[in-house]
Amino acid sequence: MTATLRNLEGNEACALGAIRAGCRFFAGYPITPSSEVAEVMARELPRVGGTFIQMEDEIASMGAVIGASMGGVKAMTATSGPGFSLKQENLGYACGAEIPCVIVNVMRGGPSTGMPTRPAQGDIMQARWGTHGDHAIIVLAPASVAEAYSETIRAVELSETLRVPVVVLLDEVIGHLTETVDLAAVPEAPEVWRSFATGPREGFQPYAVTDDLIPPMPRPGDGYRAHCTGLTHAPGGFPTQVPEVATAAVTRTTDKLVHHRERIESWQVQDAEDSDLLIVAIGISARAARQAVRDLRAEGLKIGLFRPVTLWPFPEEALRETVARSGAKAVLVPEMNQGQLVLEVERVLAGRAPALRLNRIDGQPITPDDIADRAREALK
Amino acid sequence: MKDTADATAFDVNDWIRQDQMPHFLCPGCGHGIALRALVWALHEQGIDKDKLAVVSGIGCSGRLSAYIDANTFHTTHGRPLTFATGLKLARPDLTVVVITGDGDCLAIGGNHLIHAARRNLDITCVMLNNEIYGMTGGQVSPTTSGGRYTSTTPMGNSEPTFDACALATAAGAGFVGREVTMQVLALRDLLKQALAHPGFSFVEVLSDCTEIYGRKNDLGASPEMMLAKKSEMRPFAYRNTVDVPFRPNHLRTGVIARNDRPEYGAAYRTMAAGLHGEKGDA
Amino acid sequence: MGDKSNRTMNVLIVGVGGQGVIMVSKVLAQLCQADGHDVKQSEVHGMAKRGGGVFSHVRFGPKVWSPTIPEGEVDILVALEWAEGLRWLKHLKPDTGTFIADCQKIVPPFACRNRKRGAEPAYAPQTPEEIIEQVHAGYVMDATGMAANLGNARASNTVLLGALSTVLDFPEEAWVEIIAATVPAKSVEANRAAFAEGRAWAMGGEKRIDVTASGLHKAHSEMHHPQVDTILEITEEWCKGCDICVKMCPERCLRLNDLLKAELALPDLCTGCQLCAWLCPDQAIRVTNIPVTEAAE
Repeated sequence: MTATLRNLEGNEACALGAIRAGCRFFAGYPITPSSEVAEVMARELPRVGGTFIQMEDEIASMGAVIGASMGGVKAMTATSGPGFSLKQENLGYACGAEIPCVIVNVMRGGPSTGMPTRPAQGDIMQARWGTHGDHAIIVLAPASVAEAYSETIRAVELSETLRVPVVVLLDEVIGHLTETVDLAAVPEAPEVWRSFATGPREGFQPYAVTDDLIPPMPRPGDGYRAHCTGLTHAPGGFPTQVPEVATAAVTRTTDKLVHHRERIESWQVQDAEDSDLLIVAIGISARAARQAVRDLRAEGLKIGLFRPVTLWPFPEEALRETVARSGAKAVLVPEMNQGQLVLEVERVLAGRAPALRLNRIDGQPITPDDIADRAREALK
Repeated sequence: MKDTADATAFDVNDWIRQDQMPHFLCPGCGHGIALRALVWALHEQGIDKDKLAVVSGIGCSGRLSAYIDANTFHTTHGRPLTFATGLKLARPDLTVVVITGDGDCLAIGGNHLIHAARRNLDITCVMLNNEIYGMTGGQVSPTTSGGRYTSTTPMGNSEPTFDACALATAAGAGFVGREVTMQVLALRDLLKQALAHPGFSFVEVLSDCTEIYGRKNDLGASPEMMLAKKSEMRPFAYRNTVDVPFRPNHLRTGVIARNDRPEYGAAYRTMAAGLHGEKGDA
Repeated sequence: MGDKSNRTMNVLIVGVGGQGVIMVSKVLAQLCQADGHDVKQSEVHGMAKRGGGVFSHVRFGPKVWSPTIPEGEVDILVALEWAEGLRWLKHLKPDTGTFIADCQKIVPPFACRNRKRGAEPAYAPQTPEEIIEQVHAGYVMDATGMAANLGNARASNTVLLGALSTVLDFPEEAWVEIIAATVPAKSVEANRAAFAEGRAWAMGGEKRIDVTASGLHKAHSEMHHPQVDTILEITEEWCKGCDICVKMCPERCLRLNDLLKAELALPDLCTGCQLCAWLCPDQAIRVTNIPVTEAAE
């Protein structure tokens, strides 16, 4: 085993990926099944000059992460369902004020306390719409430990460069799965940072409209003395209720992600060149689907898989293209909830192909056989 | 009294964002007086504006940060201490001041206050206590006095109040003090001490909500409310004088508690530095 | 004077709170008692606090009946403060009285009718020369300055005791002994020196004026109270008419105008104290005090 090969748990991979990407601040609160992220951070961060703190609650840990990021330090937190709910208020602040930060959410059974140790994929919609109001957010959905590592690195980089919160959405299976990961699979690259404000301090506008729609961020101590607020703000940073200004302020943050869509979107397809049925799945369900596709292909059935790695913004163009290219007559969406991803798939396909459902909410992962059975039935 | 030729003389206009004035507070709001005392204290402590971060929450108090010429962060309701904790840990070089209110700090943010006090991170928390949720239209707060009418206590308030300073003291805050807005100079000096203290400092400023609380309870105009509040206070130095039994409702002002527990950030960094060494030797 | 005739000697000691009037009268009373006189001492103190008027009557002789001295019957008036001395001057015997005064001026708060900086307070204008002309015997000395030169300005009362000792017929050693027994042990030496200084000075003549022992106590007009011009600016756009400045101004020189904006209605009364600026929630008031001399240059 070379030095870069490590047996890692998904949660641990998230922590190590974040540190590799330059994350130097973590604030968290114990919650199953994400606590290992905090534990690894508590151990590793002080070794690299970073800071770990266990806050008094989930809300506080989100606040501390945003505070650290406002100070110009890359910051992350990790949580699970109930904690993710508590973080939504401050997460919305990070969206509104465009503060880079990464939130790992390891999905468990819900609602409420639900089944803390059992996996689920019930936070797909919450991850997109959990905080109130129109806002931009990126959600990445790794399906392996290696991807937990690489996608967390990407999460930090996207968050920094786009000034947007990024959620790494794991399910409990991936979070607690141990796999051999080659850390060198993510090539060495210069550390990616947000662009900090430079230039004249006089008349500086912290939310100026730039060509790339990403305003450079003022760092305390650099002399800009800017104001940052969760109130809808004008380019100068101060609150506004002027209709046009308010519209422009919110629209820029959402347009920003549209503008940089190519950098953000990521997906994988398997055997989708000629498919009668295309499976769309994320996380552990996608891994089951991968096996199902292999099994069904062996049986001679034309099945393919489309796996959004970037869950939000949903790679809609890619899905439409894949469906068109494969000639799929239907899509099947297996997910560990009562049907969330399927709603987006239906929206994206807009009747081009019917979206079939396969749901489990019993705390058990969807198996390849579950998917294969459902696919065979669909193709009858 | 300062000579105008003195370059170090305090001028409030040097510290407030002129383009944001006049501020949005109601006529006679005590928060405006507290704002002056705070920036005066910052000035006299020689704080560098570029290295000053003012973090505030939601409510009338929360809006004050926007008027201070510094790195200002107007955060979420009850959470300014959490943002400040992250900011101070990430940037120990900054002076971090939190402006919060009685609802922000003691109700929705009460948990954060006690833990910030326990942790003893070097943050100066200024709680403006006007006994009311002013911005939302005058609802009862954890410090609304007994019997007072608010829009959610139409029969008068029957809940007991928090003694915020006792709370912060019990939780272990390194420095705890209280002052009324009427005593601008004493308030300024108290804030100076709070800023100088290496650890979590909590200062409760007894402020007046004239327009909502004052009117609803027929407490008179701002000057009357200020004078009445001042008469209810007694400096902490007089805590054992003979008239105490005759003034049962008084609140202490001045420095109320002080300890020299280790500052959290420095303690963490010291331990982490040890880890660096361990790793380097291996 | 001071002889053991049948006559009662009347000594009135006056000053302001904190100067040591009572100590002077106690020393004198003890001395007289030790010398076999009947003594009565009565005083007013306590309510005067620091800075307020204090006086003490000491009467001694073979038999003293009344504790207080009638007007015009004082043999020796000892004043620890100049204006207090003048206040009691009419109690002195016109033909034979002796006036012993420290030229020290302590201006009481109520003498400051006009609170503008640099304004002349309503303090007694009489000069030592004018007063000395009016009395039979008089000593106006800079007791405080002399005591300060010896290291402790607070011993000014003992300097005056030294002067007093020259007009009463008690042996010097008796004075020193009583003083040593009265003052705290650690300041015995300082008081002994102060007493000797005052006594030596008063030996110099019956109508002596010397107010130059140190530069400490100049006439009020010479004191360093720079005259200032106060500029009070109100940013009308920021003023919300809350009335705080109007009601809190100690001089009541502000008012709200028809637009409910604060304005300086009586600028002559403004002392530049800045209270209005400190208490303005809207940061709408700026008070600038400019020294007049600087402005003139």
